[in-house]
Amino acid sequence: MNRPLADDSCPQNTPLILLVTGDAPRSRRAHRNLMAALDASGLDDTSVHEIDLLQEPQQAIRYGIFATPALMHIDASGNRQVLYGDLSDELRLKDFLSAL
Amino acid sequence: MNDTETTADHGLVKRPTGIRNLDTATHGGLPAGGATLVVGEPGCGKTIIGLQILASALKRGEGGIFMSFEESRDQILRHAEAFCWGPPLRESSRCEILDGQSMRHGEFAGAFDIEGLLAVLDLCVQRVAGSWIVLDGIDQLLRRQPDSQMAIDQIAQLNDWCIARGYSLLLTGKHTGNDRPQPDHLSGIEFMLSTILVLSSILVDKRLNRRFRIAKYRGTRHNPDELAMLIDDAGIHLPYAEPFDAEAVPAAGERLGTGIERLDSILDGGVYRGSITLVSGQPGTSKTTLGTAFAAAAARRGERALLISFDEFARQIVRNVATLGIDLQTPIDSGHLKVVARASWDSLVEEHYMALLALLDDFQPDCLVIDPASALLKSSGAESAFLALERLLAMTRTRGITTLLTSLSEADDPFSESSLSHASTLADTWIVLRYQINAGERNRSLSIVKSRGTGHSNQVREMLLTDQGVELADTYPFGSEVLMGTARLQKESEEEAARQHEARERRRRQQRLEREINKTRTLIQQGQEELERLQEEMMAEHHEHTASDHEADRHERSVLRHRAPDQGGLDQ
Repeated sequence: MNRPLADDSCPQNTPLILLVTGDAPRSRRAHRNLMAALDASGLDDTSVHEIDLLQEPQQAIRYGIFATPALMHIDASGNRQVLYGDLSDELRLKDFLSAL
Repeated sequence: MNDTETTADHGLVKRPTGIRNLDTATHGGLPAGGATLVVGEPGCGKTIIGLQILASALKRGEGGIFMSFEESRDQILRHAEAFCWGPPLRESSRCEILDGQSMRHGEFAGAFDIEGLLAVLDLCVQRVAGSWIVLDGIDQLLRRQPDSQMAIDQIAQLNDWCIARGYSLLLTGKHTGNDRPQPDHLSGIEFMLSTILVLSSILVDKRLNRRFRIAKYRGTRHNPDELAMLIDDAGIHLPYAEPFDAEAVPAAGERLGTGIERLDSILDGGVYRGSITLVSGQPGTSKTTLGTAFAAAAARRGERALLISFDEFARQIVRNVATLGIDLQTPIDSGHLKVVARASWDSLVEEHYMALLALLDDFQPDCLVIDPASALLKSSGAESAFLALERLLAMTRTRGITTLLTSLSEADDPFSESSLSHASTLADTWIVLRYQINAGERNRSLSIVKSRGTGHSNQVREMLLTDQGVELADTYPFGSEVLMGTARLQKESEEEAARQHEARERRRRQQRLEREINKTRTLIQQGQEELERLQEEMMAEHHEHTASDHEADRHERSVLRHRAPDQGGLDQ
């Protein structure tokens, strides 16, 4: 959080990244919860980029994210915010998304 | 992973940590596959254990990764570089320090998995061909789980994963309570893992005392005691982890001089090599002098002597005993003597113990003097100073180092209140120095309370400090007293006068007898001459008689012949 990433190779137009591990139940649940919350707040769910850490573990080191699922937001100035867990806490998820 | 270094103990395969004391306490190391939990309060040294294990793995050609959930990579490396083994952690390609602390800033909305973590660990540990994984402050991550059982399950998952792959995993976690074997946020974890190390610290006399305990090590022998732990720039030490091998204690028959000739003769030739001598006494009874004389004597024999002083500084000692004719400077210059001054209050008992062991290792002395050993009692430590001393003496015995300890006794009676009197059971020879006060004088005395395997004198002797060194004077038992000082001198001069008087008397008697003999000889000679004269006279008398008798006889025969009838008229 609050750490600018100078050479972020992530697509610049992707404000949300969901880090998952394969099709683990919590990863699937997080995906579902996120989609539902985006729908509810009328946000565009196509802007979510998913990274599977089982496929790309080096991404975990890059972002410093070792618990999954994790929802990450990188703002225009490169600052990151991360919400860990299966996103079952609707209130927190709503808070997180409202900052977008 | 590297299996060549591991050892099997009852089926459990162990991997040495490379921390000697830790490997001793664990009887060979930590599980070669699976997790070891290190719990302790903040500042107990959990992170250091992890870093040091990693550093020694690097040294042995193994690899490993270290991931901290509390500190950044730079903080960890800075921390490590405070130790002599630190720099390779930054430089080695066999080591990776991962930064897991950014997770602290995240928010949590529900339960999470650690498969991502496992994927990262797998990637990194293979990259460095490692065998060790340290997850420092894993509780910082897992306490975010909404359900603590989930956290426990994930520890088990990590453990299983390491067992399956043959990685040694070190998990560290904080607890704030006293000696609880589980981190605050992970209660129940102690049932899950087979190896748990508990670190703790207590304040004794306002000094931090660190403690180490193997709370659990399933399926293998280990040292279950709570052990004192020290941290210095070489990392952690468990000074009392090393076992004492009584079989290794030699029993030499050789006698060594104490540096005081009369004392040697009282002791049947000196003290045994490798034995322990305790010299106790009140302040000013010359304990230090005796100690230095012993060290100087060792150096004169060409041996190496180590003198540890808790009272005085090295230069002071050298100067002070030089006035008594004990030369320490020459052996110091020649490298036969090393004088080390330590302040008892400056360190914990365990630190003194460690330092003394290091000195023994470093200097390899034949003789050791600790002056006074009772000063160790002044240093703080949760462990008893006696324990440290006993361990130290066990070490000197094992190595055959002849040891002399001095002990300050506070009260008049050195037997009841000598601060080390019960340490005297450890000593083979116990010499008590005292003041004897009589006739307005204070005189030093020396007596030998015990000396194992030695026919020693039970006589209390006066100890004299002269510029030629220490001397023991004969004492005069006078009733129940032992005469010393002026009383002794007076007695000595009285005895001398009596001796001289007697000698004069003897000479006089002898002269008188000689005179008598001479007189008698003269008388004998005169008698002899008289005897000879008388004999001669008698002889002469005898001859005269014989001659006249013969003449008379002839005359008679002639008369008779003339008177015969047939012979008348004829004269023949």
